[in-house]
Amino acid sequence: MSSSDQNPAATPASGPDEPSPPGRPTAVSSQVLDMGAQLVQALKPVRQMKQHACSIALYAHDLHRQMEVHHFVSRLNQDVLQCAVYDSDKPSARLIGVEYIVSDTIFEGLPPDEQRLWHSHAYEVKAGLWTDVAVPEALQSSEMASLAKTYGKFWCTWQVDRGDALPLGAPALMVSPQAAEPGRARAELVRRRDERYGVDSSAGGLKAARVEMDEPEWINPNADYWRLHRKGFAVDVVPAEMKRHAPFP
Amino acid sequence: MASSDGKPLPTPASAGAAGGTAPPGQPTTVASKVLDMGAAAMQSLRPVKQVKQHVCTLALYAHDPKRQVETHHYVSRLNQDFLQCAVYDSDRADARLIGVEYIVSRKIFESLPAEEQRLWHSHAHEIKSGLWTSPHVPTPLEKAELDHLATTFGKFWCTWQVDRGDRLPLGAPALMVSPQADPAATVRPDLVRKRDDRYGFSTEELRAARFDVEAPAEEHPGKADYWLRHRKGFAVDVVPHEMKRHAPFP
Repeated sequence: MSSSDQNPAATPASGPDEPSPPGRPTAVSSQVLDMGAQLVQALKPVRQMKQHACSIALYAHDLHRQMEVHHFVSRLNQDVLQCAVYDSDKPSARLIGVEYIVSDTIFEGLPPDEQRLWHSHAYEVKAGLWTDVAVPEALQSSEMASLAKTYGKFWCTWQVDRGDALPLGAPALMVSPQAAEPGRARAELVRRRDERYGVDSSAGGLKAARVEMDEPEWINPNADYWRLHRKGFAVDVVPAEMKRHAPFP
Repeated sequence: MASSDGKPLPTPASAGAAGGTAPPGQPTTVASKVLDMGAAAMQSLRPVKQVKQHVCTLALYAHDPKRQVETHHYVSRLNQDFLQCAVYDSDRADARLIGVEYIVSRKIFESLPAEEQRLWHSHAHEIKSGLWTSPHVPTPLEKAELDHLATTFGKFWCTWQVDRGDRLPLGAPALMVSPQADPAATVRPDLVRKRDDRYGFSTEELRAARFDVEAPAEEHPGKADYWLRHRKGFAVDVVPHEMKRHAPFP
């Protein structure tokens, strides 16, 4: 039931012409509350999101489903990042999931069963797919070199690419683009993104700089599970007997 | 495998490992901070700027409602009927991003198919009982919003189970549900007290003040709050799956 790889039943919540999400325009009273709240609340956790990166992500259970994703990155420490992921960089952007990014050192400490849910970033960064939007390559290059050695775990909670006007179903595990099919990012998606942001594919630009970047010496084979096993991961939501607990004292 | 209700194997990332509860790793370097400052100057970060409100409330795990967490919702409004929230475990700068909640009006909820409705929870009790709070926001300012929220429904995926001590996000996402009047869904008093002490307000007093927030006639319409009626929670499993085959692109 509610498997991440099923198409949801037709509802007003799916369909190409439906506004997404459906709903009435924001009322004045709500805007007043929002303005008032902003004056008195510090919103510190969201202020930590200081970087916007754009990339292409693939569904773990169906690599041919791919979408452009916008990561708003906050750094917990030098080895761990957390990202709120949106489907665009506009004010109307929909929050479509969460990605966590860890250094290779941290990743090696995870048990193999956990590692299978993670993906490597080396190809995605070197191919110029992941990029900090509007930040000159010279400024982002050392960060990108570090990022190339990281691993990510990305849950998508709103499958906008299949036209869902609302977040339906179970979360879907996402994976990164890779060099080998069927994991390559579709050229059309990349081109559209590159044109919008003016990503420079010329000899002196971003892509050329990334080619010069060091590759990690080794990528953990437990990551990118689909490459070796030719199986993706789908997420099922299943009814479970409720746990029994001793009553509270 | 990787079920949301299974305990993760012991690792440096799980509870009890040396180093406390913060994620393992080196302190942020100066170079990273410089990039962040540079990026902030060049990037507009518009989706994030839409977050205008902080809400502090409490949530329960759908597969084990005795596991309860204080949550901090950072809310952005897409329209009058739809909110999206990045959920954190605190309101501090070092807060961990622990999940996503979507909140929709009743009309939108009723348009969802039954199977989808099972994943959603109602908010009336959470609002009326004073558990849902907007710290520091003056009461008169939030009145209209509370009236509306009491009629909404939420879907909340937790991607980092910090309450069991995970120092990193492990396993599958967990579905969360809202506190309810039912004894199985009551929030532990010590959690409420800890929250109240920190903010200097009283949930009891908020409950009294919210007497005039209307409870909807039907609090659990359709399949909302599925677990209350069926006494089955939802756990999330991640399962290996044959890859779909596609015809080659033209």
